[in-house]
Amino acid sequence: MIVKIFEGREGHIQQKGDECLPLSCSNDSLAGAVSQRACVYSGARVVLNPITDALHLVHGPIGCAAYTWDIRGAASSGPDLYRNSFSTDMLELDVVFGGEKKLALALRELAERFHPPAIFVYSTCIVGIIGDDLGTVCKKASEELGIPVLPVKSEGFRGNKNEGYKAACNALFELIGTRDYTPASRYSINLLGEYNVAGDVWSVKPFFEEMGIEVVATLTGDARVAEIQRAHTARLNLVQCSGSMTYLAKKLEEKYGIPYRRISFFGLQDMSSALRTAAEFFDSQELKEKAEEIILRETARVIPQIERHRARISGKKAAIYMGGAAKAVSLVRAFQELGMDVVIIGTQTGDRDDYEKIAYIVKDGTVIIDDANPLELKELLIKQGADLLVAGVKERFLAYKLGIAFCDFNHDRTTSFEGFAGMVNFAREVDITINSPVWQLPVKRQSPIGSRSDLAVCAGVENVIQEPCHS
Amino acid sequence: MLSKSLATVNPCSMCMPMGSVLVFRGIENCMTLFHGSQGCSTYMRLYLAHHFREPVDIASSALSEKGAVYGGAANLKQGLRNVIKGYSPKAIGIATTCLAETIGDDVPQIVREFQAEEPLAKDVTFISVSTPSYAASHEVGYRVALKSLVQTLAKRSDGKANGRINILVGSIVSPADVRYLKRLLDDWGMGYVLLPDISETFDAPLTEDLPRIPLGGTPLDDIRDCANSKATVTIGGLVQEPGAGDFLKKEFEIPHTPLPLPIGLEFCDRLVGCLEELTGEAMPECYERERGRLLDTMVDAHKIVADARTAVFGDTEMVLGLTRLMTELGMRPQIIATGAINPCFAEAATQLAPGSRIMTGADYSEIAQEVSTREIELMVGPFTGRQTAKKEKVPLQRVGLPSHDRFGASHQLLLGYEGTMHLVDCLANALIESKESGSA
Repeated sequence: MIVKIFEGREGHIQQKGDECLPLSCSNDSLAGAVSQRACVYSGARVVLNPITDALHLVHGPIGCAAYTWDIRGAASSGPDLYRNSFSTDMLELDVVFGGEKKLALALRELAERFHPPAIFVYSTCIVGIIGDDLGTVCKKASEELGIPVLPVKSEGFRGNKNEGYKAACNALFELIGTRDYTPASRYSINLLGEYNVAGDVWSVKPFFEEMGIEVVATLTGDARVAEIQRAHTARLNLVQCSGSMTYLAKKLEEKYGIPYRRISFFGLQDMSSALRTAAEFFDSQELKEKAEEIILRETARVIPQIERHRARISGKKAAIYMGGAAKAVSLVRAFQELGMDVVIIGTQTGDRDDYEKIAYIVKDGTVIIDDANPLELKELLIKQGADLLVAGVKERFLAYKLGIAFCDFNHDRTTSFEGFAGMVNFAREVDITINSPVWQLPVKRQSPIGSRSDLAVCAGVENVIQEPCHS
Repeated sequence: MLSKSLATVNPCSMCMPMGSVLVFRGIENCMTLFHGSQGCSTYMRLYLAHHFREPVDIASSALSEKGAVYGGAANLKQGLRNVIKGYSPKAIGIATTCLAETIGDDVPQIVREFQAEEPLAKDVTFISVSTPSYAASHEVGYRVALKSLVQTLAKRSDGKANGRINILVGSIVSPADVRYLKRLLDDWGMGYVLLPDISETFDAPLTEDLPRIPLGGTPLDDIRDCANSKATVTIGGLVQEPGAGDFLKKEFEIPHTPLPLPIGLEFCDRLVGCLEELTGEAMPECYERERGRLLDTMVDAHKIVADARTAVFGDTEMVLGLTRLMTELGMRPQIIATGAINPCFAEAATQLAPGSRIMTGADYSEIAQEVSTREIELMVGPFTGRQTAKKEKVPLQRVGLPSHDRFGASHQLLLGYEGTMHLVDCLANALIESKESGSA
C-alpha cells in the first residue's frame, strides 16, 4: 500500500495495476482522520443555492448559515436574493422548546419582506435531534403565503453530501411540474447538474440555442423558480454533475418519461460530445450538421490558444481531488488533451461505479483514493511527484506549502472552465501556476558567510541552492 | 424603524466552536477536534483557510445517525485515537458542537475513560470545552476555550513564583498583532507568558518541510506555569464576562487587569502604563518614538477624516478600539454594531461615542437600514459587510475576521502605536479615494 496513516483506510487507497479489489467507498468518514467531506446540509445547500430568485432559509443555529453565505461562485444574470444568508438563528430556548413556531413566524416575515417566488427551508443537525416537524410547518406556510415552501431534509449527521444531494433533488422534484408551459422549439432540453460557477453556463447554453435547441431550465445554475417549475416540459435531460443529479433525472424519467444522458461541458472532447449527444437524441440531420459546424468552428478558434499553453505544460504530472466523480473523470480527459499525466485521482463522494470508471480510464501507477484527508494527500503528492493539484480551497494551501502548483476547480473559482472558451482558461490557469517563477525562488537563502548552523560546524560555505520542493 | 426581526438576515457573527479553534491553534503542538458531525469541521476549516491562507486541519468525531441516537462516545474515542496516531500532538482541544451537546454526551467523562483505556493517551493533554453553537457567538467560544485552557492546565507550584506576567489575548486578533505584542514585550525585556499565540501557527513561513502541526504556539509548560505568575493582563477584555484572567485571580490570587485592545492612542497608553506599573520599567525608547509617529500621523490626517460619519461593526473589542480611535481623530461614529449579544458592550460604546446608534445582536440587514438613513461615509468591519457597502454605495475598510476577498488578513496589524498608525493611514486613504471616485 502506497500510504498508510490510519487503520481502517486501507481499502480506500489503491494504485492501479497493483490489486483489483473494488475500492472501499460510500461509507461514513473515519473519525479523527480529518476528512475533506462536509455534511448532508452542505450537499443540499450547494445544489439548491444557485437558484437566484429563491429565498434559502436555514433552520438551525447561526453557524450553518454563516459559513455557507454566498459561498458558491454561482453567477446570476439577474436576481441576487440567493446571495443573502437567511437563518432562524436558533438559540438555547428554541432548542429546549422547539423551533417550529419561530420558523413559522420567520417564514411569514421573510415572505412579506422579500416576496420570493419560493422558499427552501433547510434542516440542520439540531432540527433532526429536537424533532421539529418541518414538513407540516412548510405545508401550512405554503398555503398561507401562496408560494411553494419546500422542506429540505438535510440534517447534517444523516449521512454525507450524497444524502444532501438527494434531499435537494427531492425538493426540486416537488417544485417541478407546478407550472404549465409549451416549449417554443420541438427540441427542448434541461441542463442538470450545471451550477453556473464563474458563469460557466453562459459559455455552453448559446451553442444549444444556436443549434435550435431550447434550454427550458438549468438545474440549478442561474435558474429562476419559474423555470424549474416547468422543467417537466423538456424532452431530454442532460446530466453533468451525475453525483448530485442522476437521482433527480431518474425520478423525472419515471414520472414524466423524460430520458436522460450523462454529458460534461468541460474539455473540448466532452463539450463536443455533449452537443452531439443532444443532436443524436433528437435524431435530426439538421441538428447533427449544426453541431459539427459549431464543433469545427469553435475548436479551430481555441486550438491555437490552447496549443500555446500545452507546449509549456505537457508531460507534467497532475493530481485530482474532487468532491464528485463526474468532474474528476472529465478532468482526466482534459489532462489528456493537454498532454499531462494524472498520477493521483480521488473524490469525496464517488461510488463503486464511479471508481470502476476511473480505474478504467487512468494509467497504471495512478493512485485512486476515496475520502482522502490532508495527511494522505500530502504523502501521496510527494510520493507521486505531482506538479499540480486540482481541488478546492481547503487543499490549496496544502499544495502551496509543499511547493506544488494548484488549480481551483471548486465552488469558489472565479474563472469559467466550461465550453470551448473555458478550456482556454483552464489551460492558461494550469500554465501560469505550474510555470510561475515563484517555484524557482530558493526556499533556503544562500548566505555569503554560511548559515548559523554551518558556521558552528565548519567555516566553509556550502552550496545550499535549493531545488524547488516539488522537483 | 422595524422591530427586531425574527429571522437573521446576513449574520454579523459566527458560532461558538469557531472561536475555540483560534485558541487551540495558539497552543504548541495542539490539534483541534470537534465532537459532532463532519460538516462542522469542514466548514470551519474552509472558512479559516480562506481567511488565513493556510492549511487548517480540524478533526471531527464524524458523528452519524447511529452516534446521534446511541451517543457519540465510541466515535469520539476513535477520533482521539486517530488524531494521536496521525498527528502525534502534545495536546488536543475538544470542542463540542450543537449536535453533541443536544444528545447529551459528557465529553470530560468520555475523555477520562479514554485516558484510562488507551495507552497512547498517556502523554497527551486534553482540553475540553463546551461550545454549543446555539448558545452564543464565536467570541464567547473563544473566551470559554481560553478559560478552559487555563482551568485545565494552570497549576500552582509552591515557592515557584516565576515573576512573570500573563498576557492573555482576550479576543480574536491577527498573527501580525500577536507578533507585534511579543516584540514589544521582548524589547521591554520582561518575563511573560502570552496566550494563545497564533503568530506562527496561522501565518507559517514557507519552509522545506511541512510539519503535520504548524510550529509555534504557547508551550504547554508555560500555560501550566501561568498559576505562578505575579500578574495577569487581558488584552481585549473590556466588556467580557469573567474569563481566564478572573479564574487565575480567584484560584491563585493573581491580580488581573482587563484592558481594551490597544487601538487608538489612549487604549495603547493604557496597556503601556499598566505594563510599566507591573514591571517598574519604562517602555523602551523606540516605542516612545513610535508613539510620537502615531501622534504625528493623527495630526497630519485630522482634517481629512474630520467629521467623517462612520459605521463600525464586528467583534465587540475590536469595534470599541476602532470607535475610540475615531473619536480621537474627530471622526463621528454613527453606528456601532456587533453581532454578539453583550450588554456591557452597549454601555462601553455609549461612553465612547454618546449619541451614536449602538446595536448588539445585529445582522447586516439591520445595519444596512441604519447605514441608509444616516449618511454614512465609511464602513469599517469584516468583509461580510461588503454586500451592504456595495448596496449603500459606501466604501468598506476591511478589518478583522473574516476577510476572504482580499489578501493580507494574517498581516493586518491593528494593535499598538504602529498598528494604529497604519489604521489612520487606511482610514484617511479610504476617505480620499472615495471622494476622488465620487462613489460615496
